[in-house]
Amino acid sequence: MDALQYWILGFSVATLPLNLLYAFIGCVLGTLIGVLPGLGPAAGTAILIPITFGLDPLGGIIMLAAIYYGAMYGGTITSVLVNVPGEAASVITCLDGYQMAKQGRGGPALGIAAIGSFIGGTFATLALMVVSLPLATFALRFGPPEVFALLVVGLSLVTGLSGRSMLAALIMTFFGLMLSMIGMDPVRGAPRFTFGVPPLYDGVGFIPVVMGLFGVGEILLSMEKPVLEVIKTKFTDLLPKRKEWGVSAGAIGRGTVIGFFLGLIPGIGAIIPTFLAYVVEKKVSKHPEKFGTGIIEGVASPETANNSYANAAMVPLLSLGIPGSPTLAVLMGAFIIHGLTPGPFLFKERPDVVWGLIASLYVGNVMLLILNLPLVGLWAKLLEIRYQFLYPGILLFCILGAYSMNQSVFDVGVMIGFGVLGYIFRKLDWPLAPTILALILGPMMERALRTSLEMSAGDITILFTRPISAVLLAVAAIVLISPAIRLLGKRAGKD
Amino acid sequence: MCIAFLALSILTLVLSLEYPYKDRLGPGPAFFPVWMSIITGALSLALFFQTTWGKSVVDLTATLLPERQGVWRIIIILVALLGSLALLDPLGFRISLFLFLIFLPLGLGGVNWWVALIFAVAGSFGVFHVFYYWLKVPLPMGMFGI
Repeated sequence: MDALQYWILGFSVATLPLNLLYAFIGCVLGTLIGVLPGLGPAAGTAILIPITFGLDPLGGIIMLAAIYYGAMYGGTITSVLVNVPGEAASVITCLDGYQMAKQGRGGPALGIAAIGSFIGGTFATLALMVVSLPLATFALRFGPPEVFALLVVGLSLVTGLSGRSMLAALIMTFFGLMLSMIGMDPVRGAPRFTFGVPPLYDGVGFIPVVMGLFGVGEILLSMEKPVLEVIKTKFTDLLPKRKEWGVSAGAIGRGTVIGFFLGLIPGIGAIIPTFLAYVVEKKVSKHPEKFGTGIIEGVASPETANNSYANAAMVPLLSLGIPGSPTLAVLMGAFIIHGLTPGPFLFKERPDVVWGLIASLYVGNVMLLILNLPLVGLWAKLLEIRYQFLYPGILLFCILGAYSMNQSVFDVGVMIGFGVLGYIFRKLDWPLAPTILALILGPMMERALRTSLEMSAGDITILFTRPISAVLLAVAAIVLISPAIRLLGKRAGKD
Repeated sequence: MCIAFLALSILTLVLSLEYPYKDRLGPGPAFFPVWMSIITGALSLALFFQTTWGKSVVDLTATLLPERQGVWRIIIILVALLGSLALLDPLGFRISLFLFLIFLPLGLGGVNWWVALIFAVAGSFGVFHVFYYWLKVPLPMGMFGI
């Protein structure tokens, strides 16, 4: 089959009525998750995995993917109307989006965000169709040493880019790896660190940990100041003024390119593309001093980059089996729950799933545009739900989601325990993303390392003598060492 | 926090020594845990020294406790969560989550009891119906079978 035939296969699967319905439901639920404060896309996607249990694997994955990119847009609404980002990638949107809302221009801010998200997401999906197959074909050459090196690169990027303290981020990565060691040894199948507790034989549940760290932890943090002040704005005029279209078009174009290319790098996360898009926009602007006062390009650029990134980040997940963010790690977990393993072999074994999912991204972007522009007023109404009902409602779904994974009360306990940990880590500004990614990638990493050492009869140089793994490990080393070198350079400069 | 991670790494190292480090095929089950705990321990020590005596780029020892009202709300949520954890198996999903959903809004305050009652019934019995009967998600029935 050539690429065109795969595209046709993908669209024929994605446009089946049932799959269209799943994508639509996913878009609605995703936007809802993004809008509701206290529920980010990672926890939201994890909570909603149980609703896909009864669906066929492709239908379930299409719905969860739609939840993922729907949440990316939904987060914008709270950024603009409440000055609270619904998810981390929308932080930068608060700067100009909220100011626009205060000036009575919340409608155009959300309108341009929806249009930019659509353009960025659609372009990234088209590019994803072109890039993913060659990359997956290349990745088929990878043996255990290359897989190990690739996983090291993914984790080092998450570590290097996720916090203000590299040491804290590294500790959180190793914490995730240590958690992943609980349960069956991935090579020999012997139980480890189970303490005779039967539920631990399957390891620490990834989904309850995500729900705890990102869902319960976030709610506990929100409880410190739970009341939101929503700016009342009219949504009769959602489109920008005529003179704003020109600057918006440029901002959307730049945001699309930045989001797409950064999305290809595994582990970079959604925050950096949005910040970079904003900074670039400020640099190229004729009036950079107006940024932060409520100008439309300050919303258009990061929001476009956000959705472009969200779609492009599917490339490393689908082609290499490496999730770039906690939400994509949850999506990877959902793949595994549905009996599918993301990575190059999936392209070979289940092209209907891979290409159906990619085509559904395109369909979903159209749905999001249709859904969001006319219904933005309705989404804004959701922000007025009182926290006394909102947070218990979210926690209800957390309990349900954690329990239903394995019909285990133990998993609910794990979720609560990690909820408290998540609260503490957030309070102390320790990054959570490295732990989540390390937890899901840990068994793969251990298997790849130990198999490599078995291949070389215990000689660790196998990792450095094979060209691809050597290059990948060099990249990881640069990522991890560069902050220290920069710091030393700064100190030397001061002296 | 650094001390907690250091303690965790020492505990992991000690526990991992119970498993074989090497076998005739190659690295054994203890291989990965031993190295992970050693590296985690070293990193925890490094961060401890950095935050205690060196120049840390970020305050990793920021205050944990929120203001009094916040503490109260957090305690209420944790009590409700732990209560639901204890009651989920014996009482089943519907009753335990009904209690959870009525306790939490009333505990957080500023809510009419009858609104909380409607919310709790819809949230527990309604959600159970959708997930158990429509989406075929197995949920606990409890000793009363409801």
